[in-house]
Amino acid sequence: MKLLRRLFFSASSIAIFLIIWHILAWLDNQSRPVVIVYPLDVFENLFNSFLEPDFRGFLIQEEIYSSLKRLFFGFVLALAIALPLGLLMGYSSIAMSSTKPIVEILRPIPPLAWVPVFLALFGNSFGPVMIVFIGIFFPVLLGVIFGVRNVPPELVDASKTLGARPMKIFSKVIFPSTVPYLMNGIYIGLGVGWMCIVAAEMLGVIGGGLGYRLIESATTGRYDSMYACIIMLGILGFLTTELARISSIKVREWMGMGQE
Amino acid sequence: MDGHGAGIELRDLTKIFRKDWREVVAVESLTFRVEPEEFVCMLGPSGCGKTTVLRMVAGLERPTRGSVFIDQKEVNSPSPEVGMVFQEFALFPWRTVRKNIAFGLEIKKVPPEKISLLTSEYVQLVGLEGFEDAHPKELSGGMKQRVGIARALANDPRVLLMDEPFGSIDAQTRNLMQRELLRIWESARKTVLFVTHSVDEAVFLADRIVVLTARPAKVREVIDVPIPRPRDRTSPEFIGIRVKVLEELQEEFEKTGVLERQAVAKAGSG
Repeated sequence: MKLLRRLFFSASSIAIFLIIWHILAWLDNQSRPVVIVYPLDVFENLFNSFLEPDFRGFLIQEEIYSSLKRLFFGFVLALAIALPLGLLMGYSSIAMSSTKPIVEILRPIPPLAWVPVFLALFGNSFGPVMIVFIGIFFPVLLGVIFGVRNVPPELVDASKTLGARPMKIFSKVIFPSTVPYLMNGIYIGLGVGWMCIVAAEMLGVIGGGLGYRLIESATTGRYDSMYACIIMLGILGFLTTELARISSIKVREWMGMGQE
Repeated sequence: MDGHGAGIELRDLTKIFRKDWREVVAVESLTFRVEPEEFVCMLGPSGCGKTTVLRMVAGLERPTRGSVFIDQKEVNSPSPEVGMVFQEFALFPWRTVRKNIAFGLEIKKVPPEKISLLTSEYVQLVGLEGFEDAHPKELSGGMKQRVGIARALANDPRVLLMDEPFGSIDAQTRNLMQRELLRIWESARKTVLFVTHSVDEAVFLADRIVVLTARPAKVREVIDVPIPRPRDRTSPEFIGIRVKVLEELQEEFEKTGVLERQAVAKAGSG
């Protein structure tokens, strides 16, 4: 019964959203130029773009693939550097005090500020990957550092009385208790990563991508295709962060560290 | 279980903590011995530094002065020879009961087949059959501490240190755990140094009770408990020793009370 009620409210809020959209589109359609496209036309375009190539000759799934590939490589690269660096910074006070100033200066810079720099530096094919990298890097790094700092000291003591030396304390106590914080960092990082990928693709990219399709559609006045891209970005962003959120919960459960 | 109990000797053990510009003497010139395979309880008012003493014996904390010897060997760092059971259990939450018990054995690089044999043996010893694959959060306080005890014993230490292990367990389970602990101690033959602030617990468990003074911790009195086990809490001998220990402690409790009142008065006027 509760589920049914929840479904009813979710469905009605979507319906209301579409109705308001439709009314706004109708108002906008009374005069030129038309910027707001009818929702039905947008969904038709979205559906068709899986079947028919657009004016540049690309199917939307090809663009999705390009964007996801960039997100994936940026993510792997960010993880590969942020995880060991975070463990080191959290564990060793020398590593912390020598890297903290740099991290603290770089961290507040909005990831999008790096877009022109990285495009110039790494070119239009690898640059966008680097922008995703920077977006995911800091949330993961901070998550890991926080995790290491929050290892319960009594667990470290217990492992010492059981004969663990520093290397074993690190691999058997500190690292596992950091995992939930790492997963949380990934969850936040992926959200930021999506923003970065779209911005990077809009500003210039080789090999297509949803952001590129979005800006191309907009500059050539194909607004139905533009809105279709926006909706696709919303769906993909939701799915990836949801995937990260659920796997974060699953990992916690699997490790026996879920909420008490 | 072949690592038989070792003797413990505390010699002039002193710990001074520096807090801002003040020095706090937590433990002062503590000297006593625990014989091999003996069960000794350290009893003292809350906050008197008992835990600090135990941490120094475990090698988790360095004494400011004096030393701890286990079988004539000075303790400089934690070692698998000296097991510890913690008040708040300190179990690894991501490990199952079996994997918690196996922790020390994994460190020692015991072969996996032998680990699974040994963990089953210790699961049985502490009566946790059927919970091998449960995670700590699924267990009650008493069960968690059974895992804590099994984890320490599986490593086959020669000395077992217990820091108010039943302090956060409800009263009924506590009595049961005390009987269980004696049963395990009698079969494992380890030397046990057990910290508590419960007189009843100390008289029920110990061969000897070391009564500590209020901060800084010093030996006030060592009391023998020559009652055969299992002990009856209502027997005249039991009550007799209880009264004796209580009298010793009472003065210390009063002293802490006076200190606390002085501190409150000071804080109030300042």
